[in-house]
Amino acid sequence: MKRVLAALAFLVLAAPASAQNPGDVASDLPAAVAEEQITVSSDYRGSYITVFGVNPDRRGRGDIVVVVRGPNESTVVMRKRSVYGIWINGDPVRFAEAPSFFAVLSNRPLRQIASPESIWRYQLDPAASAQLASAVPEGGDPSAYRRALVRLRFEQGLYQYYTGASTPERRGGLTMYQGGLFRAVVRLPANAPIAQYHADTYLFRDGRLISSQRIPVTISRVGIERRIHDLATTQSFLYGVVTVLLALLSGWLSALLFRRS
Amino acid sequence: MIYLPIAEMPVNVLLVLLVSGSVGFVSGLVGVGGGFIMTPTLMFLGVPAPVAVATGASQIAATSFSGIMTQTRRKSVDWRMGMLLSVGGIVGSASGVWLFERLLRLGQLDLLISLLYLFLLAGVGWLMLAESYAVMRGRTHRGVSILRRPARTIAHTLPFRIPFPRSGLYISVIPPLVLGYLIGALAAMMGVGGGFILIPAMIYLLRMPTNVVVGTSLFQVLIVTSLVVILQSTATQTVDLVLAAMLMLGGVVGAQLGARTGARLKNEHIRALLGLILLVASVKFLLDVVVPPEEPYVLGGGLW
Repeated sequence: MKRVLAALAFLVLAAPASAQNPGDVASDLPAAVAEEQITVSSDYRGSYITVFGVNPDRRGRGDIVVVVRGPNESTVVMRKRSVYGIWINGDPVRFAEAPSFFAVLSNRPLRQIASPESIWRYQLDPAASAQLASAVPEGGDPSAYRRALVRLRFEQGLYQYYTGASTPERRGGLTMYQGGLFRAVVRLPANAPIAQYHADTYLFRDGRLISSQRIPVTISRVGIERRIHDLATTQSFLYGVVTVLLALLSGWLSALLFRRS
Repeated sequence: MIYLPIAEMPVNVLLVLLVSGSVGFVSGLVGVGGGFIMTPTLMFLGVPAPVAVATGASQIAATSFSGIMTQTRRKSVDWRMGMLLSVGGIVGSASGVWLFERLLRLGQLDLLISLLYLFLLAGVGWLMLAESYAVMRGRTHRGVSILRRPARTIAHTLPFRIPFPRSGLYISVIPPLVLGYLIGALAAMMGVGGGFILIPAMIYLLRMPTNVVVGTSLFQVLIVTSLVVILQSTATQTVDLVLAAMLMLGGVVGAQLGARTGARLKNEHIRALLGLILLVASVKFLLDVVVPPEEPYVLGGGLW
């Protein structure tokens, strides 16, 4: 509850300037994220990202869309092919940019809020952010690859869609409160990449974007998780030696222990 | 639950310890290294195949060092042979890691691992079944061995022959080098020690006396798996230290307990059962590669 209050106080006191402005619209939608720092330690099992905000319209007109995005990364989608009865991964297609995590929340179905052009332009759909980089092999359908990318990431829990409020059974969704206050909750699964995320909040009215806001959310390793990962990536040779020494030590200890008894 | 820093997934600590302990117990009971059971088990638990293979190697290094500590007291290592096998193994594991890394980038690694395990589990499972069946029958027929040791093999006819005093052999250096190379490549790509191939080959191909076979193979396996861990850490960064520590703990304790229990048991039936389990597991890998997939698309290449 303290976090909620802090987030609200933050909203009222200072509606911060946005880091990224989607073109021609004002980036002054009052919003904040409860968890600006998410830490990954050895007991990490995923997390939640909570976005708060207020619809500044006094009569409460307009619709809210919240998008939580992970960094864009190059991704390859392959199609299974049968070669002499064995299914191998073939026909690779590379996407130069595809969101590693993408959750979109809206108070009612997105297509009723924004036009297909707006959805594409403001990248409110993961497929809109996926940039095809290589030619699709002969007989392949580029949109099938794009759909497959979205479907596979959806099944991994990395792409999420929520319409309406979160329910007792399913934590996650966009809930509207009195006075234009809204709260969006996104489940961040344990397999989501550990990186810099952004929570983007959009206010649409009559299908047009009125204002938006972008808030960074940092997910980072701490403690022993961080030390092990840093060692593995920056000092990988040393890391290998440490692992071998650990193996020798445990082998030696067990031989010693069981020799006596 | 603990979050694995390299596999980037949470796992249940008790489950992993239980699994590695049981695998260690079975391998101690039957007298095998256990890498070829441990690594596929990790994959079944959801650990990504590259991490399972690279991390499995570290557990085998621990088990083989534990074994070598007991073996060397009985002076049962042919150091010269061990060195030759290791030289082959070092080159082999380097090329294995190179191929592993290439296929990982190409998105074909999982297929290769499935295929290798399919043949390996089917082969080893079948041999175990056949052997234990022969032993069970042999008891009534009074010791009939299914395999006879040939008097002379290719190892005796190839050039570059040198003496191996501890084994009492005078054979070519080529077969140990080639054998070591193959075992090293398998260790790098499959996360196995390779003792189940090395030991029969040493007995039947190199004609080494059985009292130095186990110690010498443990020596080679230790050198090769240690190198694989360092190479995989450097080339692919798929070695998970936290997972490795849990596997070592469960594996070495289980193996010691298994070896104790095994010494007091007639284990033909256990071997037959294990052979059967391996055959069933190989069917799982077979289905993976031949059944038409429900989902024709996969994410791959560059993900890892």
